[in-house]
Amino acid sequence: MNATLIAALWRQRLTSPIRLVLLGSLMGMPLLAVVFMHGAGLSALGDSQGAVLVLGAGMIGQDVSSGVLQLLFARPVRRPDYVVSRWLGVAIAASAVALVQLGLALALMAARDSLPGAQDVFLYAAGRVIESFGLAAVLALFSSLIPGFGDLALYFLFTLSASVVHWVGQVKQWPWLDRAGSEILASLQPKLDLAQLVHASPMPWFPIVSYASTVTLCLALAIVAVNRKELSYASG
Amino acid sequence: MSGIVVEGLSKTYRRPLAVEGVRALVDVSLTIAPGEAFGIIGPNGAGKTTFLGCLLGFLRPDSGRITIDGHAPDDLAVRRVTGYLPERLVLDRWMSGRGFLAYHHALAKLPAAGRATDVDAALESVGLGGEAGARGIRRYSRGMLQRLGLAQAMLGRPRYLFLDEPASGVDPAGVVLFRRLLTDLKHRDVTVILNSHQLDQVERVCDRVAFVRGGKVEAIETVAAGASHARMLRVRAAGGAIGTRERLESLATSVGASLHDVDPPQARFTVADDASAARLIQALIAAGVPVAEATPEESRLERLFLDTPPGASS
Repeated sequence: MNATLIAALWRQRLTSPIRLVLLGSLMGMPLLAVVFMHGAGLSALGDSQGAVLVLGAGMIGQDVSSGVLQLLFARPVRRPDYVVSRWLGVAIAASAVALVQLGLALALMAARDSLPGAQDVFLYAAGRVIESFGLAAVLALFSSLIPGFGDLALYFLFTLSASVVHWVGQVKQWPWLDRAGSEILASLQPKLDLAQLVHASPMPWFPIVSYASTVTLCLALAIVAVNRKELSYASG
Repeated sequence: MSGIVVEGLSKTYRRPLAVEGVRALVDVSLTIAPGEAFGIIGPNGAGKTTFLGCLLGFLRPDSGRITIDGHAPDDLAVRRVTGYLPERLVLDRWMSGRGFLAYHHALAKLPAAGRATDVDAALESVGLGGEAGARGIRRYSRGMLQRLGLAQAMLGRPRYLFLDEPASGVDPAGVVLFRRLLTDLKHRDVTVILNSHQLDQVERVCDRVAFVRGGKVEAIETVAAGASHARMLRVRAAGGAIGTRERLESLATSVGASLHDVDPPQARFTVADDASAARLIQALIAAGVPVAEATPEESRLERLFLDTPPGASS
């Protein structure tokens, strides 16, 4: 982990007007729902997918296509450190966005005296953070494979393909295809249903191991991809 | 072993669906001593940038070996003592010049306590002090970007400096500044590897120069860095009236040049630089010599460039 790289990523994201506008919209719209929809709970805030995609798009590929990696890797920076730092930078930023949004939502709910329980709030917050770290790892992998913002295209392509597989499996009533589609979709957005985990007895370990292995595998493959990159305009 | 050692380096770029790849480097071997200024020249597509890419550990050679102070080029111990200025300089344009240098100062793991001082000194050294340093990089001209890139490369007083066309896009004042900085670096025993098409600059700065063509080092020439870089100027007079040797000697001496030989209707003079050549021509015309043509003869490296036949061994 390299704190300089993480801080640089945040500053870069904060100077991008498009990202800021998209992020503001993603944060603001659910809050409007909380304001105007009576009885809207935490679920109205949605998930972390949008924030991670906005903050993470091109997290590695943008550096590859712009050519700044040459100067960066001329410094004493290990490539695995670079990948992990980009992942952490995006995941922490997306988690912060989710937590700020949650804080604002709780303030609005408190104003109308409809605060949810402390455990619900904690589980919701932890779920959003876990989801941010999971999806950021998937995006890091895609971003290490394709330059520019190709990671977004790849993510949507995979999501669309998996949805089609899932749908065909359901229509044809082929359980194996249905399951395959579901698993691919789950891998594309790794998250944990903490409420279910906490209340289950005994605690099911499969989702936890599945989440951890997906994140680890994505990061490992991203590191391999970045390690194999040759950096020279002579090679282009 | 200290210094840079390259042994049997070969690199071929493979292209999808292509039967044969492009051979960028073929069995390159050379050594660069610590503190040496080493130039790399050659025509476009000769393999110079590929060679630099391998030296920096950005490209994986197919065969051969490179060590820098006994380490692999991508070893962090090497990175800590290396500065690099790429030809196609791409900077994080959302930063200010000062912010960019502070960022690279931190990446280089230099002491944070001296960051502000080091960054200001680096900006001053390339003529970007004051308001220019605080300006956003996206508002920099090409020449300013190149100056900032050089400041970045020199951060932390690296022992090895890799420069790929450092004066590209720089105005004449910048070229003079770059030359002065490179000479200073040489005096500080920094090992400079300079890839440049500006042969005059290479000749003034470097101790030795490798001439690369077709991926091979065809010649390595020792040049007397820091010595006088006098040029020969050939002057031809119209109608054969070049004048007497004594008169030409007197005119040349009056403008700081010297007469080399006279072979009517031509005479050859030794001049210190372009300005000296201009003064001499002016003086000749003012003295009534009917100058029809004045041609600078090639520098030593220009002759090397033009005369080395393809396939000559190093």
